[in-house]
Amino acid sequence: MKRDTFFAFASPSVIIMLLLMVVPLAIAIWLGFHYMTFRNIAAPEWVGLRNYMDVLADARFWRSFNFTALYTAIVVPSWVVIGFIIALFLDQVSGLVRGIYMSIFLLPFITVPIIATIMFKQLWEPSGLLTWVYQQLSGTRFRMNETSVKTLIIFFGIWYVTPFTIVVYFAGLQTLPQEMIEAASIDGAGRLQKIRHIIIPYVRSLTVFILLFSIMDSYRVFDSVYVLSGLNPQFKADTVMTYTFSTAVQVQRLGKANAMAILTVIGIMVVLIPFLRLMYKEQIAER
Amino acid sequence: MDPITSRAGRRFVHFVLLSFTVYSLVPFVWTGLQSFKTVKDAFSRRPLLFFEPTLQNYQEVWIRRVPDNAEAIGIGIFLVAALLIGLLLSARRLPVDSRLVYGCCLAGFGLLLWAIPQLIYMQKFYDYFINTLIVTACTIAISISIGCLAGYSLARYAGMAAVVILIAALAFRALPRLAFVLPYYWIGSLLNLLDTGLLVVVALVAVNQPFTIWMLRSFFMEVPKDLEESAMVDGANRLQSFLRVIVPVAWPGIISTALFTLLLAYNEFLLVRVLTQSNWTLPVAISRYTGNESADELTLAAAASVSATLPIIVVILYFQKHLVKGLSAGAVKG
Repeated sequence: MKRDTFFAFASPSVIIMLLLMVVPLAIAIWLGFHYMTFRNIAAPEWVGLRNYMDVLADARFWRSFNFTALYTAIVVPSWVVIGFIIALFLDQVSGLVRGIYMSIFLLPFITVPIIATIMFKQLWEPSGLLTWVYQQLSGTRFRMNETSVKTLIIFFGIWYVTPFTIVVYFAGLQTLPQEMIEAASIDGAGRLQKIRHIIIPYVRSLTVFILLFSIMDSYRVFDSVYVLSGLNPQFKADTVMTYTFSTAVQVQRLGKANAMAILTVIGIMVVLIPFLRLMYKEQIAER
Repeated sequence: MDPITSRAGRRFVHFVLLSFTVYSLVPFVWTGLQSFKTVKDAFSRRPLLFFEPTLQNYQEVWIRRVPDNAEAIGIGIFLVAALLIGLLLSARRLPVDSRLVYGCCLAGFGLLLWAIPQLIYMQKFYDYFINTLIVTACTIAISISIGCLAGYSLARYAGMAAVVILIAALAFRALPRLAFVLPYYWIGSLLNLLDTGLLVVVALVAVNQPFTIWMLRSFFMEVPKDLEESAMVDGANRLQSFLRVIVPVAWPGIISTALFTLLLAYNEFLLVRVLTQSNWTLPVAISRYTGNESADELTLAAAASVSATLPIIVVILYFQKHLVKGLSAGAVKG
């Protein structure tokens, strides 16, 4: 394809991305230098680096950062491990049965996140099913407090995204060459050995893919926290995203919220640059 | 891997899969039950699994005032809907052009959705539902048309610019929504566009574009190059050969991508929450049911959740193969 044709075809999409992603990012940086509430939107007041300093010195920001890091550190490995194990089991059945299981396992993932969280929360309402089970088993009352809200947010995160990793690993297992397994059987390898020495190395590129997208999505967690904590500060369950949202919408410090979003962008880019370089080299090699 | 054959082993496999089924379904089943309970049953100290079901919650979510001839209207709407769905499913077997049938069905559904509030006094929830349908449909149409052009050119052009665009798109895909949404809010309030569907659609198209072009590119790369080359030898230009030859071949992949765009647009909460005050889509409307302490909100939230989830489940189960294909497409190629 010629260069001119390429630009003609790609231009609508590229222009949209320039106008609605690159320009807004520049605006966000610029707004970060301003004091702005809903009242002075048309004429924000220049304050220099004050917002950025404010964010870095804000204990609540760092607390929300820590919870986001904890969430990512627990949820991402759980997705990988549970998804891989369930995919192995799903690989053991076939035909209609497999299709039915697959449809059911996919359900959480295709439900609107906000609604899935509301459904999940219904189980833990004072009259909820799991509240009752918990109280029967432990003998203590179930209450929404810092620990329980944080635990529910993490549990929900695991429940909601595992279907994605199941499907990805399952698709990968379908392409596994049968000869590799047969050769290992002839060598007398047991099932666990095959998993450890053949399958895990075979799906390595999938694991990298899952890790990349899981980290991208888990640090941005918002919807489930919004529902489960109700953005109530008493639960101390803010993530970076919900805290930025509260700063913008509830406290009305729009300049500070923009500064916070930009600092988050810088933080995630630092994490992602090795991945992006990897992808860049791959694309160059593929040409 | 080679199948487990021992009897105990088979049992174990099914035990694990059934347990995971229960784990996946519990919130859905429980919410479904709650949505059919009276407030009194829903707040019972022991969770009730057996109770006298009521449609009261669904009625309260959707309908403001029940008309006198409710039964006649209900049966009428049901018959029209059934007729349209029947027509839709048998479109391929009818002796007329199936595109014509699809068009008629679409028009029929539009007319039906427009007629319902003329016959019955509906709740605001119905407006949010219609608004969600419009926003989602517009987002899919725009996003997929421009995404196809870009995805195709990215699959075929080997220059440096293509690599740069792809890597930049991947980086954008990773950034937090709020870094875009807060500037959109600012621009929207300066241009007086806040609370309009236009702003929401444009914003949704933009934030989903990186993902869309990556996915469509991977599907267009599967299409053999000879196809368009032979079409171009026959005298078609790039655009003609793309529209007439490539798009039909890549159609299943385009459906997959459209399905993901559908989920992204239908699911979006944060963006709609910030950019609208009353012109909501369903996720924002439903989130309003949580957080206050009124007694009947629990069952209403349940009924609203089920109402908003059922359509999407039906669509996805119908297109499940495409969804699974889409999920694994980016993955297997790595």
